[in-house]
Amino acid sequence: MKDTLKKVIFGRKEKYWWMNILVPFISIFLAFIVGAIFIKTTGRNPVVAYKLLFGASGLFPGPYWKGHFAEMLLSSSMFIATGLGFAIAAKGGLFNIGAEGHFIVGGITAAYIGYAQPFASLPKIIHLPLIFILAMLMGGLWAAIAGYLKAKRGIHEVITTIMLNWIALYLIEGWLVIGPMKAAVETGVSGTPYISQTAKLPKILSGTRLNISIIIIIIVLYLVWYLFYKTTLGYEIRAMGHTLIFGMESPKASGINVERRTIQTMFISGAIAALGGVFMVLGILFQYPPIFEGGYGFDGIAVALIGQNEPIGVLLAGILIGALRTGATSVQLAHIPKTFPSIIEGFAVAFIALQALVRYWLMKLIRLKKSIPIKIEGDAK
Amino acid sequence: MKALEVKNIIKQFPGVLANDKINLFANKGEIFAIVGENGAGKSTLMKIIYGLYTPTSGDIYIFDEKANIKNPHDAIRLKIGMVHQEFMLIPRFTVTQNIVLGDEPHKGIIFNYKKALIEVKDLSEKYRLKIDPREKVANLPVGIQQRVEILKILRRGAEILIFDESTAVLTPEETEDLFKTLTKLKENGKTILFISHKLKEVITIADRIAVLRRGKLQGVVEKKNTNEVELARMVVGRDVVLEIPKVKTKIGKEVIAVTNLTVKNNRGIIGLKNVSFDVHASEIVGIAGVEGNGQSELVNALIGFTRPLKGKVIFNGEEIRLLTPYNLRTKGLAYITEDRKRRGLVLPFKIRENIIMGQHTLYPFSKNRILNDPEIDKFSTKKLEEFDIRPRDIYARISNLSGGNQQKIVLAKEMSTNHNFLLASQPTRGLDIGATEFVYKKLVGEKKKGIAILLISLELSEIMALSDKILVLYEGEIVGETTPDKTNEEELGLMMLGIKRQEKVIQ
Repeated sequence: MKDTLKKVIFGRKEKYWWMNILVPFISIFLAFIVGAIFIKTTGRNPVVAYKLLFGASGLFPGPYWKGHFAEMLLSSSMFIATGLGFAIAAKGGLFNIGAEGHFIVGGITAAYIGYAQPFASLPKIIHLPLIFILAMLMGGLWAAIAGYLKAKRGIHEVITTIMLNWIALYLIEGWLVIGPMKAAVETGVSGTPYISQTAKLPKILSGTRLNISIIIIIIVLYLVWYLFYKTTLGYEIRAMGHTLIFGMESPKASGINVERRTIQTMFISGAIAALGGVFMVLGILFQYPPIFEGGYGFDGIAVALIGQNEPIGVLLAGILIGALRTGATSVQLAHIPKTFPSIIEGFAVAFIALQALVRYWLMKLIRLKKSIPIKIEGDAK
Repeated sequence: MKALEVKNIIKQFPGVLANDKINLFANKGEIFAIVGENGAGKSTLMKIIYGLYTPTSGDIYIFDEKANIKNPHDAIRLKIGMVHQEFMLIPRFTVTQNIVLGDEPHKGIIFNYKKALIEVKDLSEKYRLKIDPREKVANLPVGIQQRVEILKILRRGAEILIFDESTAVLTPEETEDLFKTLTKLKENGKTILFISHKLKEVITIADRIAVLRRGKLQGVVEKKNTNEVELARMVVGRDVVLEIPKVKTKIGKEVIAVTNLTVKNNRGIIGLKNVSFDVHASEIVGIAGVEGNGQSELVNALIGFTRPLKGKVIFNGEEIRLLTPYNLRTKGLAYITEDRKRRGLVLPFKIRENIIMGQHTLYPFSKNRILNDPEIDKFSTKKLEEFDIRPRDIYARISNLSGGNQQKIVLAKEMSTNHNFLLASQPTRGLDIGATEFVYKKLVGEKKKGIAILLISLELSEIMALSDKILVLYEGEIVGETTPDKTNEEELGLMMLGIKRQEKVIQ
């Protein structure tokens, strides 16, 4: 019994498996230390700053915790959506930086289906899932364009996704929001009309804005994990991810249709990133604004990198980034600009990028510890 | 005079004793070879001498002086140079720029290219190694690139040159050229450490030969006192059946027939011209030829990577118009690749994940696109046993396995698919004798099972030992068809070089 348990827990893991978990935590820790040095050099008190930051982040109980906690989960769910979108493509060896575009495409679709007739008069139980399906479909198709160009024409996805981001942005802000989807008000620029009551996400915590988006995204996280590790499609995506960027051909030689999988991977990636936009429109803004201050797409890349492209990692990283953003406004009380948490986020990504170095240090530490008893043994002989 | 001596070198890796009390010396001006199977500890020893690894214990003496080599800089200072398997050259730079890189002649801060050109020319003349100093490295064949690498090391004043499996990337002619180079270097008084697992090469070039097995030194022999058979015995530790006894099987019906296949290679040149052949069940057809004479084009067409310009492929009685990997595989193709790391395996994957690749969509490994983990585990455990793959751990990562075991995974994966045609392209490339023997046995086993095998190989002995029918490929054409009984290695060799042609009678 003990042996089987041991095998289940440890047997399947490689040696030093815990390092994969430890390294991101160390990276984040280092980022906070460097952040503290930054605060100190500008003559402010890092302890006070971090107290304020975490006090209002919603991670730890404190004054007005309920509100902070709700806000944290609200923004986390969007970061997780875009992060997961990036992570799926990255698992398949694709560098999809189009999450920003998929996010707004999802958002505008959700807004349109949310207010337009005849959808708006549907009962909630049909209306809400319909919005999700169509928005994810649109986001997925938007990403699949880049996937198609990569698969059939060999155009690198970084180029196409960046271009598609701008195309989406100007189609929406330069035409849809001020043209066909303009709200009928006299003030001029005001974004799209507000969505109907049936399109709003149900709230789950009274007195706050917290809605079911966090529950949805956790279910999606589980589904993505299941896709990666339990299905043949996920297996093929991972096989591609390990080989594609090095120009290796093993999956293709084994009969996997790499071209089709590339398009499918991009579709799934875009559909999930689009979820973030749906959460934004249906849960927070209730319309598509004339100018959308996004950035969720690009922060999603950071989330995926810190989370090592693993669903569970993306969850934790998304919550961390969400918490930092929620606490951001209160660091101003310590006379620090509210953009300060972005610095920490940036450093966390930088240290993750340096993980080979962190691993090397850790290995050295292990060897150092292990070499001591060997030496004693040698002397005894 | 001893140029290099190692005393009691021990290198302990986690779980493996890579070098166990090794004592060796190499005299000045001799070619000293070290042979052993993959994983015998040859490369480890060389990396210790070059400063890439630090030994757990033991001493190194260079020209009778105790040396403390902590990193490659120390090694270069002590006049040790290493020719790596993968060249450290910049393709876009010229030969001269590459040779002087890191120690450029200069006027102030300006790079003096003219002086560099003269230096490189002098160097090339001094050692009689012909190169064009102005040519870009990207345009050079691998053999000449290696020469550039050697000159680069010589320019730094190397006296002891380490060649780590340097012939692995070379064609037979290039290998011969390299051997001429080595002889010239020897005449110039340089000491050469030549690492290889190819006994034939070692016997040809070396003055003295050290044999390593599982990290232990088995002995040092003079070339004139030994022969290939004795060396093989020392390397493997047992008598090796290098000659596989011919298995006579009744040849069955036609499995694959190729007519007038013409294929362009990735440079846009026609690499395979009007090639026709057929393979029957229980038959091994060997394709002999020097590398680069159409083998890769043939493989790429047969596995569906490149679309042939013209030609017909009839597979199991049915013409296949859509040549894609998936389509061919479902029709019964299995493919043992010459480049297992690129085409056969996903290195970061675990054994269990690799071994089902290609069959993962089939029952019992998956049902309704959902993987069946217990079945995969059961299957891979069985295959590990059947193919004697070590470690017996289905969760081990492929990248941590030795070359021989990686190849066994490829065999296990391909031979367990539902197939009746096996395309084996250089199935023993880079393998030691033990693993090579294993591959031969498995191929013969496949033949007994009634599988049609197309064996593409650069090793003549392999072709001679295994094939029922031999086709010779030269410049993209089949220049001869024969059987092992009717020919010998010399005649085949002449055909491979295009000297002797046999008029084709098959039509």
